[in-house]
Amino acid sequence: MALIERILFPNTFGMELIYSFVIIFCSLIIYFSTKEMYKISKYPGIKYFRFSFLFFALAYFFKSFISFMLVFLGFHGVLEFISVFLGVVTLFIFMYASTMAIFYLLYSVVWKKFGDKKYIIPVLHVFVLVISAGSLFLRSAWTIIIIQILLFTFIAVYNYTSYRKLSPKKKTGSIHLIYLFLFLFWMLNLSDILVSGFSPFFEFLISLASIGVFLTILYKVTRNVGSL
Amino acid sequence: MGKRDKLEIIRDILKIIKNNHGHIKTTPLLRKSNLSSKRFADYKSDLIGRELIFETEDKNNGKQILITFKGMEFLEKYRTIINFVNEFDL
Repeated sequence: MALIERILFPNTFGMELIYSFVIIFCSLIIYFSTKEMYKISKYPGIKYFRFSFLFFALAYFFKSFISFMLVFLGFHGVLEFISVFLGVVTLFIFMYASTMAIFYLLYSVVWKKFGDKKYIIPVLHVFVLVISAGSLFLRSAWTIIIIQILLFTFIAVYNYTSYRKLSPKKKTGSIHLIYLFLFLFWMLNLSDILVSGFSPFFEFLISLASIGVFLTILYKVTRNVGSL
Repeated sequence: MGKRDKLEIIRDILKIIKNNHGHIKTTPLLRKSNLSSKRFADYKSDLIGRELIFETEDKNNGKQILITFKGMEFLEKYRTIINFVNEFDL
């Protein structure tokens, strides 16, 4: 199996670069193409949605940067990488951006239930900054992973409940289902970089699935804002 | 009629002004918008702040509220914004 994987996926870093490029590209197009819509409407849900993809772009950029450092500077895993200053900074930004991306996307669908309180977003930023710094200080990626698993569970329950309320016609291609996949593949991405490296074949499958999810969201966005 | 959300109320206010040749006095606008005085005042200052409407005063007509180019643009793109908000459950 290992030999077949080496033949099929000889350059996993090259694959990672292409994969990250596609996702960063999709995220930035989503962010910039909805700018006009937000400028006219000033609708809070659109603002949180846009910020989520800006943070996804940042998170994927730093994910590939960390992979680049691990491969080309010869580090054996992230724990060794955080022994240098550059490692601490990049991992900190990566953990902060990825958690904020998920928080923003979650908040974009639930903000109406909280009545758009102005203090929620700054509190979330401070909370995530503290958690990211704490994870690095304790040299444990698990703090941030547990937070994201808790978020993922909440999102899964919320999306499943919303999905069940839809009529059978609207269930196909529903955004709730797409968000579920987005978070699921993001969790796998995060585990891959923070805990242990997956096999190249499994990484390839996660990459393909993640690209599929981002392209679907991009398609839905451009279909709507195309006329703007 | 169900409860109107913020975007819908903004659309309604702008539509009233547009259908009145682009300008209207405050009192008929308040009446036609079906809002309480307090909510109307909040929306009015919000829309002025967002440059969707502006207020002017002259000797013959008194205080008038006018729709801006940006306000017309909002009306044009309202359907697209609503479709987007619904599609992503925002």
